[in-house]
Amino acid sequence: MKWTKLGKIFDPTEHSLSNNCVEFAQSPHALVLRDRVRVYFSTRERDKIGKYLSHVAFVDFAKNMQNIIDISKHTIIELGKLGCFDEHGIFPIHVARDGDRVLAYTAGWNRKISVSVDASIGLAISHDDGRTFQKYGNGPIMTASLNEPFLIGDAFVALFGGSYHMWYIYGTKWKKFKESDPPDRVYKIAHAISEDGINWHRDGRQIIADRLNIDECQALPTVFHRDETYHMYFCYRQAHGFRKKRNNAYRLGYAYSNDLINWERNDNKAGIDVSEEGWDSQMQCYPHVFKSGENFYLLYNGNEFGRFGFGLAVLEK
Amino acid sequence: MFKWKKLGKVFDPRDYKNKSWMQEFAQSPSVLIFEKHVRVYFCSRPSPTPDDQYLSFLSYIDLDRQNLLRILNVCGIPILSLGALGTFDEFGTNPISVIRVQDEVRVYYTGWTRCESVPFNGAIGLAISHDNGDSFTRLGEGPVLSYSPDEPFLLGSPRIRKYLGKWHLWYIAGKEWLQTDTKPEPVYKIRMASSEDGINWIKLGKDLIQSKLGEHECQACPDVTFREGKYHMFFSYRHSHNYKGKEGGYRIGYASSVDMINWNRCDEIAGMNVSENGWDSEMVSYPHVFLLDGETYMLYQGNEMGRTGIGLAKLTSPQNWCS
Repeated sequence: MKWTKLGKIFDPTEHSLSNNCVEFAQSPHALVLRDRVRVYFSTRERDKIGKYLSHVAFVDFAKNMQNIIDISKHTIIELGKLGCFDEHGIFPIHVARDGDRVLAYTAGWNRKISVSVDASIGLAISHDDGRTFQKYGNGPIMTASLNEPFLIGDAFVALFGGSYHMWYIYGTKWKKFKESDPPDRVYKIAHAISEDGINWHRDGRQIIADRLNIDECQALPTVFHRDETYHMYFCYRQAHGFRKKRNNAYRLGYAYSNDLINWERNDNKAGIDVSEEGWDSQMQCYPHVFKSGENFYLLYNGNEFGRFGFGLAVLEK
Repeated sequence: MFKWKKLGKVFDPRDYKNKSWMQEFAQSPSVLIFEKHVRVYFCSRPSPTPDDQYLSFLSYIDLDRQNLLRILNVCGIPILSLGALGTFDEFGTNPISVIRVQDEVRVYYTGWTRCESVPFNGAIGLAISHDNGDSFTRLGEGPVLSYSPDEPFLLGSPRIRKYLGKWHLWYIAGKEWLQTDTKPEPVYKIRMASSEDGINWIKLGKDLIQSKLGEHECQACPDVTFREGKYHMFFSYRHSHNYKGKEGGYRIGYASSVDMINWNRCDEIAGMNVSENGWDSEMVSYPHVFLLDGETYMLYQGNEMGRTGIGLAKLTSPQNWCS
């Protein structure tokens, strides 16, 4: 794999966003439409007590992925009601075309007391090409279970071989690395399968081997099929000190599979890494691969988890 | 109509001063019958923390099978630990329901977690004992029954039964959180799920018991017993507001069913109401009905949601469960 970087293509601070959002365009996800590519992302507002709420917005690019045609001015999907799993944010939102509909798999966030947050995966459905989404119930379609005790999120769904496949993450532990710091979380990538996209059967195991250590955090799997092989990009980091220290921060990882079940990790073949300087020099995270025309594109965030936008790369043929 | 003779309070946790985790409350009684004694599992609480928050622990007492008002033994330590940091049962395991299956004993329990915008949330966990119910180990760090699209929060109040070779779980699911002048108050309703192994569940997906106090009625503790070809459910219900005193507090309701799915509510024949005065004069709740040596008994909690202990009643007449 070899990716050519096309640079940062969207900066949220240069635009007026809905829901009082000011910064962050995190975890870009593409929906390829007839005349444009709609890129969803999560952006943030400060609530009454000064904490962040993540909202979903989108920006429409012309097919050349350079010209911005439109930017959402409305609420695409409401945050959850009082006490619901997605009351305090939706991040990320993954969209998948399903006939006339567009399915959205959301990670909903809710704030806790002993640890900062929990998350579950929700479903929402659009009948207007992804302009607005209606929730499939007030609760999640996938949440904590016997061996996946918390932090279920980052769903990526694709139809392969007549079945819906989901790659997602689940939390394995909350750990206090330093007495003076709040607990940090550890999460891993897993896989589930479904006949209807709603009811999921989970494999119940970590599918991507750790590279750093047992506390490695793995996130945002994105999977595509090319040259008879399934390819997965994801991001990974150290569990502690990942915000400020460059070496502990998110990097892009890569794995491949022939059967969608067994994955061989080989980050050296990812074909993309942090830049020497500039917007993606400290970290790279939240990758999303999509095909538009004959090209495979990679959307991703750079420094500060996407506070100042996302960038694009294209796969060399 | 069922007629219950109240035999009085059998246990008051405040009588045992040296048990730090059992300062107050004996909630959600559930029995396991042994040759010489009846073990009553319940949930007890240490004193609240300075910010008025409680933990809740699984405990038990052993009652003399020949004289249920005689306590033979009180457990020395909590018999199930609380969950790890960030897990669904980090702050409590309450309410509970216990069942024996061959050489293991299972407890299904509600795990308590604390949230920012609402005070708490719950999901249902499972722990197993291989020492005849003396101690329990959780099956996993997460819940066996949790949230879904139409059950968005507050799963709890499990009652586990095995009928017709299948596992059945009656439980409650939250409907909505109501904003009040102080803290939000939940509304929850009785539901049911079935399973081949007691671990993987299929939810029925409907409210079983018609509300009597309006759409915001809270229903809990669906205690089901099978007699004379029918399923009988004693449960508790209350108003969603001002429920901490006599007026809006918990009462015991009753419903029956021939198929476990369609229930006919008929509180008038439950036969168990608050007393004129004393420990159960403001509320009665969390009924648990069991058969012992040819007699039918009900354990239940009284005022202040069981703060001062558990009481016992005996069914006197009719023994006709067909009515």
